[in-house]
Amino acid sequence: MTTPAPRAAREQPPGRVLVPDLLCDPSRRAEPLCSSRRVPADPARRTGRPWGTAFAAYRGGAGARRARDGHGGPGMFTAAAESFLRQAREIQQEELRRFAARVSALLQGPEPGPEAVDGLQRLHLTVAATKYPRKLDGEFVELLQTVLCSPKSPEQIQVLCAAILREMSPCNDLILSCDEIQDTKLLSLVSSVLLAQGNKGEVAAVGQRVVKALERRLPEGQSARFLLPVLANVLRLSPGSLTEEQIDVVSKKLADWLRYASIQQGMAQPSGGFFSSPRTKQPAPITEVDGAVATDFFTVLSVAQHYTQDQWLNVQTFSMLRNWLLCYGGKELNTLNPGARAGVDGSETPPVCAAGRAGRPLPPRERLRDKAFEYCQRLIEQSSRRPLKKDDGDLQKACLIEAVTIMDIICKQDSFYVCRAVSCLKVLHSRICGDGTYARALLPIAQFFLNHSKLAAVDSDAIYKHLFTDIPAQLFHNPSLAFEFVQFCKDNTQLFTDSSSIFRQSFPNLFKFLAWNSPPLISEFVDLLPFLLDPDTTIEIFHLLLDLPCLTAALDIQLRAAALPASEKAGADPAGKPATCLEAFRHPLYKSLFQYLLRTKAAPEDAPESLVPLRQLLGSLAGSPRVVQCAETVPVLLELFFRVVAEFADGSLINQLVVLLLQRSDQLYEIPAFKEDVYRVLGSQLATLCGLRPALLVELSTEILEFSGAVSNIQSKEAIFTHLAWAVGEFLSVSHDKRCTVEQITRFFEPLEAVLFEITQLRPQASTPSCAPRAISVLMATLTKLAARSQDLIPRVSMFLSKMRTFVQSPAVTSVYSDEDLEEILIRATELMNLLKMPSVAQFVLTPPVASTQFQREVNDSLPLALRMVTQLLEPAPGSMPV
Amino acid sequence: MVRAVVLLAPGGPAPCRVLYARSFGTPPGTGTGTGTATAGPRQRLCRKEQLLAVARQVASQCQLLQSSLGRPSSPQLPQLPDEPMSLQDAPGGLFQMPPGDPFPERVTVVWLSVLALTFALVCEPQENLSLAEITLRRLAPRLLLSLRLLGPGADVLLRPDAADGLLDRLLPHGQMLFLNERFLQAVDRELGIKASR
Repeated sequence: MTTPAPRAAREQPPGRVLVPDLLCDPSRRAEPLCSSRRVPADPARRTGRPWGTAFAAYRGGAGARRARDGHGGPGMFTAAAESFLRQAREIQQEELRRFAARVSALLQGPEPGPEAVDGLQRLHLTVAATKYPRKLDGEFVELLQTVLCSPKSPEQIQVLCAAILREMSPCNDLILSCDEIQDTKLLSLVSSVLLAQGNKGEVAAVGQRVVKALERRLPEGQSARFLLPVLANVLRLSPGSLTEEQIDVVSKKLADWLRYASIQQGMAQPSGGFFSSPRTKQPAPITEVDGAVATDFFTVLSVAQHYTQDQWLNVQTFSMLRNWLLCYGGKELNTLNPGARAGVDGSETPPVCAAGRAGRPLPPRERLRDKAFEYCQRLIEQSSRRPLKKDDGDLQKACLIEAVTIMDIICKQDSFYVCRAVSCLKVLHSRICGDGTYARALLPIAQFFLNHSKLAAVDSDAIYKHLFTDIPAQLFHNPSLAFEFVQFCKDNTQLFTDSSSIFRQSFPNLFKFLAWNSPPLISEFVDLLPFLLDPDTTIEIFHLLLDLPCLTAALDIQLRAAALPASEKAGADPAGKPATCLEAFRHPLYKSLFQYLLRTKAAPEDAPESLVPLRQLLGSLAGSPRVVQCAETVPVLLELFFRVVAEFADGSLINQLVVLLLQRSDQLYEIPAFKEDVYRVLGSQLATLCGLRPALLVELSTEILEFSGAVSNIQSKEAIFTHLAWAVGEFLSVSHDKRCTVEQITRFFEPLEAVLFEITQLRPQASTPSCAPRAISVLMATLTKLAARSQDLIPRVSMFLSKMRTFVQSPAVTSVYSDEDLEEILIRATELMNLLKMPSVAQFVLTPPVASTQFQREVNDSLPLALRMVTQLLEPAPGSMPV
Repeated sequence: MVRAVVLLAPGGPAPCRVLYARSFGTPPGTGTGTGTATAGPRQRLCRKEQLLAVARQVASQCQLLQSSLGRPSSPQLPQLPDEPMSLQDAPGGLFQMPPGDPFPERVTVVWLSVLALTFALVCEPQENLSLAEITLRRLAPRLLLSLRLLGPGADVLLRPDAADGLLDRLLPHGQMLFLNERFLQAVDRELGIKASR
């Protein structure tokens, strides 16, 4: 923030003497925003305005130069804006009141000019800059409304009055009404204030007034062009504002504007200049976007030098058509002429493709549908033309999407159109499916076929297959498509219930969208993931989630490889080892691994032995911001994954997952923070799975003992190790599983004892890094629990625990662990030892009730209380307990 | 339909600032009870908070995208463009806000970042997002020009009439328009903008 220089005389506008501002708080360095004294008259000369000296210096030549040199620019801009915002927020009520009084005087003056504009602009900022209410005098608010509605007021002032009134809304002192306003532009402006009030009555009144204006012939010089958007907004805010008759009247108008706009170009406004002569020649016909003379009716894709009012209305009608049809398109059967025609409102009557309609006049809403359908067909035809202007190409695509969507709506409301639409869209699909720039239009086409192909008895599998196989694989990097594609999946989750379907099979492709665009898509995938999971996909999705950042890296390589010139695509020497990731992409050593990771559909049986070489290869990309962002989404999805899987998984699936979990903990993409996060989730989920199915401890004892018997796992994967050790102590009990014999318990006891021995009795001599105190604590507790269930082990544990005092006192240990940690370890050891002195109590305390359903229990959360109780029983002497 | 337009300075290390915001109508009977003395201010507060929530989310999406493109999170001071700039490659995106947070209904936000500023449209969920992107790409340079956004002053805060004038033509009452290039030129003629893009 720049410190504003004191106001300099040279900054003042010439010939203007500034009254020193008495209201200005001297501690506030910049000039007040709303000075009730003097407001410079000429907004064009703001360089010299007496407020905001902070930014005044940066205006004009010097300021522009500075910005250009990189010394000013947005930094300064922000400083100036920042200072203004602060001033606006700090203005006191009294100051504001006086300022409003001054603006009021200006507004009531003979000709409110730039000074009034300036005042209103500052007033707007003062009101808008704070979220708390600003109190303006009732009289002043009334004046704003009077000025707004007065035909004599300059347009800029009217716009500002409306802006202030909208900003203050909802407004108690509103006397505004649109009933008497004839000018359509003003009516639109006043409506913007009324619609901001959040009042149903006001919305309905605006709707009534606009419809009334549209019904009648508008006075000369007035255009309905300003009214249609108001109507569209009324529709959005409160669709019930129109009566059935009004809906019919407007439908009729809309149909005419849509279908019968002039096909001649409009005339230029005569400039009245010296050389301009009144044009006498015939207006030219409209053209298509490619320059050809139009052969059919006018649409938004018709081109002219100048447009007529009815052509403007055509644009606006088409722009609001979709919402109008959604709101009012399909209701007439409920009100008028029941049974007038079959097939309306999605009734099950099969469409008659060949037959046309009888030549009777259609009711307004049906007629609108009819015209709308023709319009959409024409747009689809027009979208095949090559535009002269590049931006019109984008508009063509947006029109195509709109046209297909509207056709879908029309067919839902009247199945009569289904056959025509199907043949039209089949042709369209084959025309655009090979062109990636049209990919977004494939989504509404697929949606159409999902909605109607059954009724039309057409096979549309090829359309879905192309959409789900080719599009994500080729266009995962298009963020808009990615968002809309995932949205499409979310809107059609019923598709994912059939596991054999192309939709369900395509999940590896869908994850590419997430891998590349994780920030905007993570919340969408949180919604989508549960629909992708079932017993058949669980394992593959588990791998996919853990490999998601690796997938991002592989996609990066894929993109770069595709961008290589053809000459370099041949690849390196297949005999040698590839030097870069890019070379490896086509190298026989890695090709199949890349192909598997980048597969387009589920392929559980094709999984390679291991993706380890690929993960190592892609290690160089682990620091790329996109990869890191993707890695950050994995823990969230993993937790959700386990939550969902727990609901349907049977014993064998859970066992499979646990084995995989232990295996994969060694095989993660090398991003330290990612690994740490994943271990944390996997650890807690492992404990949960053991709680869900304690039998897995016995069934998977080989794998579990292999993992928990390795000291290195405590150091590298502490979270998983600790949770697993805790789960063994908690759930390896005959009360959970009859197979937990004394032999089984001893089988688990011995490796864990060996590990604890190694880290507490051997390590102090070696200068190895410490293990987490939590792991030591949990191991002691687990051994104690097992001993309580197999009492022959009690002497071994007791002796072990008694040695902990020597452990915590050894110099090698005290140099590595903190005092608090050592004290906690010692206290825990003492407590457990005390507990084991009363074996029957120990057994009772340390065996949790079987019925416990609280799986998410924190490690040892039930223990401390029991332990302390027992310790108190055994050592009642004061001071023996930690306070 | 578009519910609201927000223009913000995403800030980078500094908190994001809403520089201009315009809601197109307030849906009747949302949240606050009507009739009580505090209902009005509460409704307004709610509207302001909603747009602020949009701005914060846009700012964070914008920063994440910039960083994934390997660009610094707080954009360097830009050169004032001497030539008409192309917004085709300007970073932008789409995201959804779930029902109830911050709007009662689901909304889709479309945003576009130009130099140190970000423009956002809050759209109804089923809106034509291709059209929303086109609309945004057309609005942004015109707002830059008429609010003198690249200049060092604070006109953006003090010229709501200029912004409203633009929106009344390009996004009247939140209605997005299918305007081809020639229509757009006609709009520019009405606005007195010469060959800007």
